[in-house]
Amino acid sequence: MILFRTLERRIAVVFVGLLVFVMLLMLLIVARSGEAIIAAESQRQLAAGARNVSNLLDRDRRQLELAASVLSGDFSFREAIATQDRATVLSVLRNHGSRIGARVMMVLSLNGEVIVDTQRPGKPGRPFPFADLLRAAEKHGRSGGVALMEDGLLYEIVVVPIMAPMRAAWVVMGFPVEDAWAAEVARGTGLDVSVVATGGVRASSLTPTLRSALEKLQSTVLGELPQQLKLEGRNYYSVALPFGAQARVLLLYSLEHTEAVFRELEHVLEIIAASGIALFVIGSFGLARRIAGPVNALARAAQRIEAGDYSEAVAVTAPDEIGQLAAGFESMRTGIASREHKIMRLAYEDTLTGLPNRTRLAERLAALDPEAVAMVAVLDLDRFAPINDALGHPVGDRVLQQVGARLAGLMPSHGMLARLWGDEFALVVDGADESSARAFATRLLAALHEPIELDGQKLDVGGSLGIAFRPADGRDMDALLRRAELAMYSAKRRQCGYALAGEVGDGPPPEQLSMIGEMRKALDRREFVLHYQPKLALASNRIVGAEALLRWQHPERGLMPPGRFIPFAEQTGFIREITPWLLGEVAAQAANWRERGISVVLAANLSARDLLNPGLVVLMRELLAAHELPPAALSLEITESALMEDPTLALSHLAELAAIGLKLSIDDYGAGQASLSYVKSLPVHELKIDQSFIGSLATSPKDAAIVRSTITLGHALGLTVVAEGIESEADLDWLMAAGCDIGQGYFIARPMTAAAFADWISARTAVPAA
Amino acid sequence: MADRTSHQTGRLTLRPGLLALVLAWAGVADAASLTVRVRTPAGAPVEDAAVVLDPVSGTPPQPRRRATIEQRDREFVPYLTIVQKGTSVDFPNRDPFKHHVYSFSPAKVFEIKLYAGQPANPVVFDQTGAIALGCNIHDWMEAYALVVDTPWFAKTGADGVARIERVPAGAYRLRLWHPRQKAPAADTGVDLRAASRHLDLQIDVASRVVAPKPPLDAGRY
Repeated sequence: MILFRTLERRIAVVFVGLLVFVMLLMLLIVARSGEAIIAAESQRQLAAGARNVSNLLDRDRRQLELAASVLSGDFSFREAIATQDRATVLSVLRNHGSRIGARVMMVLSLNGEVIVDTQRPGKPGRPFPFADLLRAAEKHGRSGGVALMEDGLLYEIVVVPIMAPMRAAWVVMGFPVEDAWAAEVARGTGLDVSVVATGGVRASSLTPTLRSALEKLQSTVLGELPQQLKLEGRNYYSVALPFGAQARVLLLYSLEHTEAVFRELEHVLEIIAASGIALFVIGSFGLARRIAGPVNALARAAQRIEAGDYSEAVAVTAPDEIGQLAAGFESMRTGIASREHKIMRLAYEDTLTGLPNRTRLAERLAALDPEAVAMVAVLDLDRFAPINDALGHPVGDRVLQQVGARLAGLMPSHGMLARLWGDEFALVVDGADESSARAFATRLLAALHEPIELDGQKLDVGGSLGIAFRPADGRDMDALLRRAELAMYSAKRRQCGYALAGEVGDGPPPEQLSMIGEMRKALDRREFVLHYQPKLALASNRIVGAEALLRWQHPERGLMPPGRFIPFAEQTGFIREITPWLLGEVAAQAANWRERGISVVLAANLSARDLLNPGLVVLMRELLAAHELPPAALSLEITESALMEDPTLALSHLAELAAIGLKLSIDDYGAGQASLSYVKSLPVHELKIDQSFIGSLATSPKDAAIVRSTITLGHALGLTVVAEGIESEADLDWLMAAGCDIGQGYFIARPMTAAAFADWISARTAVPAA
Repeated sequence: MADRTSHQTGRLTLRPGLLALVLAWAGVADAASLTVRVRTPAGAPVEDAAVVLDPVSGTPPQPRRRATIEQRDREFVPYLTIVQKGTSVDFPNRDPFKHHVYSFSPAKVFEIKLYAGQPANPVVFDQTGAIALGCNIHDWMEAYALVVDTPWFAKTGADGVARIERVPAGAYRLRLWHPRQKAPAADTGVDLRAASRHLDLQIDVASRVVAPKPPLDAGRY
């Protein structure tokens, strides 16, 4: 109900509704009791009127009798009667009749014969028609009554004796009962008076219309008890009084006046009720507003709090319940505000460094104008992992805190520094162009070159920075961070401090990006397979090993070589999931073959990330133990570039791996910048000359010279030298001649599945080469 | 009141005088007396009944006589007067105000208009019959006179007994009459020889309706 939607209305409607109910009840009761009072009053008036009329009729009759007596006592009248002078008597009767208004005058003999009759002067005597009146007169000396005469009119009749001095005759006098009579009676009583006799209304004080209305009703209204009736739409109470034997006097009391008094009372009450209700409406709305107003204010405050606006305090206006509620709201507001502040800090702040986190940075970038120019950079510490590993996490954390503080000190006011994860930071500087970005990057790196002092110990960290520009390199944070990250990896690989995303390129094309997602599924679906390429000991012409090469049996793209997905696996870190699987497969395969008598050293390739992963050593130990393999049954190949990423950490891991007894091999030797003196310091056993040199042995004397000297130097350092990419017999012969220990390439055998490799090697063993 | 009472006593002395005249006439011949007791059928004594003896033969003596009907204390006194035809009747007014005595009775129609004291001339009742007397200004005043043609008559007292003295012996017709008799009584033949006779007679009469007199000291009349 719309009416009850607000508290204010509800209060007002309930109050006003109750009042209206009470008022209506009161009006109803007044109307009801009014009717009862009208009825009672009317009946009282009618009863009083009836008594009055009754008295009036009695008195009237007595007066008539008296008047008749006075007449009958007149001496000359008596003389005329006594002397039986008929003409004189008639004349006297007429004269006296006119004196007192009697229309009928008769003289009766004592035995009831009409002697003289003013209405029928010439007619002979006849018996008096109203014998009962005469009898009453004989009994009581006189009598009176009402009778219908021959002329059709109703008369009040009195019979009195003529005394001379004893009763000598009777005089009868008749007074017509007409409207004038009724009107006179009515005047004295305040009632309407009508005389009803057989044949209808004989006399009435009513107006002609009311009178004719009464004519229609009369038979039903002649009760001697009061009854209510309606004439021409007006209400009356009526009572009938006996009037002689044949007639009745009908008294009508009009309710009009009494009703009018009550109508007026009701009208006044209605005005009082209406104005009371009006006042109540105003009052209760006012009250409701005073109650609901603060409640509404609280509701608004609650809405503000809901919308996250905690700035406005909830006003506590009154000491009542609402005030207490408001106070509750206020403490709730401050509580929520402080909790939200805490939550915001947790959500947007890196708890370790106190710097904004990735989420906060994302919002900061998202809030930028679409065309706003900004620099987004990703910074990764170069030597954090060894510190963390060597000195423990608490130290690592303190290093990160110091780095954060140091970097934050360099941030301009229109920039933001955030910690993304681990030792990776990101920063945004609004409005930076390339030159200012370069200058800023230089400043940052310089600051990082300063050693960090912890408990008197100096730690070198340093870092690599990748810089992307908005909007040139993208607009959303993911794109910008990815570009900056690629640039950062590039800078780290090249050890050049920082790199711009524009110089590094776009990174993997979109189809490769989707491939990264697919790789995870591929691992689950076992789409990755290992192919094995045999390694031939040139001197003995025996297969001494095999390099496990990762292939992706892609359901749509077919068999994919590692060069098409490994770089992205490395960039995305997915390599950390592939490598353990690969190493497990290789170890299992090695164990399998060893049981079948195929004794080859299986080599697996490690990426830089794998090498820097401190879990690698543990993993290798577990694999060897699990498959009961001698450590020398497995070989790990590491590229130069992987070593150069973090030479110190790489060295420490290599040392541990070597300590276990695993064979270690430098892959793609000669393609990178590793010096032979550096290689010398590594605990490796094998040097694999990059295939680019082998491919051009026949054509490039320089390359041949490099290969020859590398073989010589490798041997001098006690390393086994492996040549990859042997594609012709000439190359093979040349290498054999050059003293290369092991050869690998298409000319010897292509990479093949484990099953094919087993078949191939048993076939080769069965038919020894010439 | 005492004065009025003594006045009345003075008037009463007239009647023994009148009676003495009758007795004087009766004493001439042999005389008898008749006692009549009149009662109602219920046995109550009837007052004011006239007992009249008419001689069956002969002419009774016609003495000139006078009678008086007073108006005293707004009443006629006596209520019934029996006179022999030819009697002059005086209507002395003993009240301090006037009276208007009238009669419409056929035996004697007359009126003595408003007068005080003794009217100059008496009214001669010269025809037999009953005469109702009234006063025009005091409706309740009512008296009756019975005019007879014989000197032998009497009216009953409160004990209902009337006595006629010194009636000559002979045959008579006894007539009984009462102003309020309900029906005329039949005459009775009476032969008077002995010295005295007693008769018991009955007549039914209406009770006298005494109209209330307005009090004099009310100052309204």
